Amino acid sequence: MRLLIINTLPKVHPAAEKAICCLTEKASECMTFYTEDMRITPCIGCNACWLKTPGICAVKDDYEQILKAYLQYDVTLFISDTALGFINYKMKHVIDRILPMATMYTRIENGQTRHVPRYNKEFRFGLLYAGKGNQDYLAHWMSRFCLNFHGISLGAFPIEAWEEVCACIS
Amino acid sequence: MHFVIISGAARTQSKSNTAKIIAAFCEGLQNGGNTSKIWYLSDRKQWKSAKIAFEENENILFALPLYVENVPGIMLEFLACLSAKERPGSRISFLLQGGFPEVSQGRCCEEFLKTLPAQLGCGYGGTFIKGDMFGLSLMGEKMEAKLLQPFIEIGRQFGENGAFRRETIEAFSIPEYLSEEQIRISNGPLRYVQRFAMRYFARRLGCKTKLDAKPFCEKELQETQEETI
Repeated sequence: MRLLIINTLPKVHPAAEKAICCLTEKASECMTFYTEDMRITPCIGCNACWLKTPGICAVKDDYEQILKAYLQYDVTLFISDTALGFINYKMKHVIDRILPMATMYTRIENGQTRHVPRYNKEFRFGLLYAGKGNQDYLAHWMSRFCLNFHGISLGAFPIEAWEEVCACIS
Repeated sequence: MHFVIISGAARTQSKSNTAKIIAAFCEGLQNGGNTSKIWYLSDRKQWKSAKIAFEENENILFALPLYVENVPGIMLEFLACLSAKERPGSRISFLLQGGFPEVSQGRCCEEFLKTLPAQLGCGYGGTFIKGDMFGLSLMGEKMEAKLLQPFIEIGRQFGENGAFRRETIEAFSIPEYLSEEQIRISNGPLRYVQRFAMRYFARRLGCKTKLDAKPFCEKELQETQEETI
């Protein structure tokens, strides 16, 4: 199992360090992005990735390598801090930029409109969070997010419970 | 009443669907004898004054587009810099718009929005959700005016007591889901019309590849570069 980790927590975060170290050992191959070393700006909502340069984000920063990595790895694990019970803005900026993975086209599946996926890949996304997140809501949000990107949610867990993710990815 | 309106849209004001909705909404507020002042978070120079306006005023409305099932990252960033109000009496309401037609697509975000006022020391004035707003800027002035018209009345009704009334939501925040017939049409002939229209808009914007191009697959990259829409 090839694992992609996107960590928006500081590099020096004992719980995240431990989780990343242990998860790396479990995976056959693992790549970790530390976003504190990267320049990732917020989505500007220009829709270029849907209508002008399909699949390619108009914002030229360090994000494109993450976009490519989503396609190269079996599972993506987001590691985030929390604010107001939800993921914090740093991780939301990262996730908002995932739009190029969907096309502008839509179709109705199970009674709701969905974007037609751009790539023939079933994504698997999980979330580990630090701080006071609302776990029930985060799990619900992850499932909704995955639904609209034709993926499977592995759930949302406090970072100390990283072993729960191991069970999902092994 | 005086309302502070904060746009959580990431798109610049001149190109923002949310800004157009706010303008129509404010027209309705004004028709009811209210006043309003708008701040746009897409312009970071406005953040400081938006924060002060939030602190000093009691009637706050956040207008926002749905972004990956929740609020846009920039709005989350702004919310994180606010402190909870210590003095009671303030109220926060939300106007949430999305591209998908079903109101149910906004429910997950609404669940989060409901928690915010209490965390910021305010009361909750409700969330109004409206879908099918993606094409607002693409469909020409006539259709744009038609789509915006209801927001004038929604704004007028909101201005009466500074909160979204159940009757307003029931009348305008629809449909929760598409009907079976709408689904049949959407997945049938309308799908081809929609694709044709999108390719037309894309070409007008200068798009030179297929809208379902796969630029990060080598084979696909080669194919899509050769083929134009």
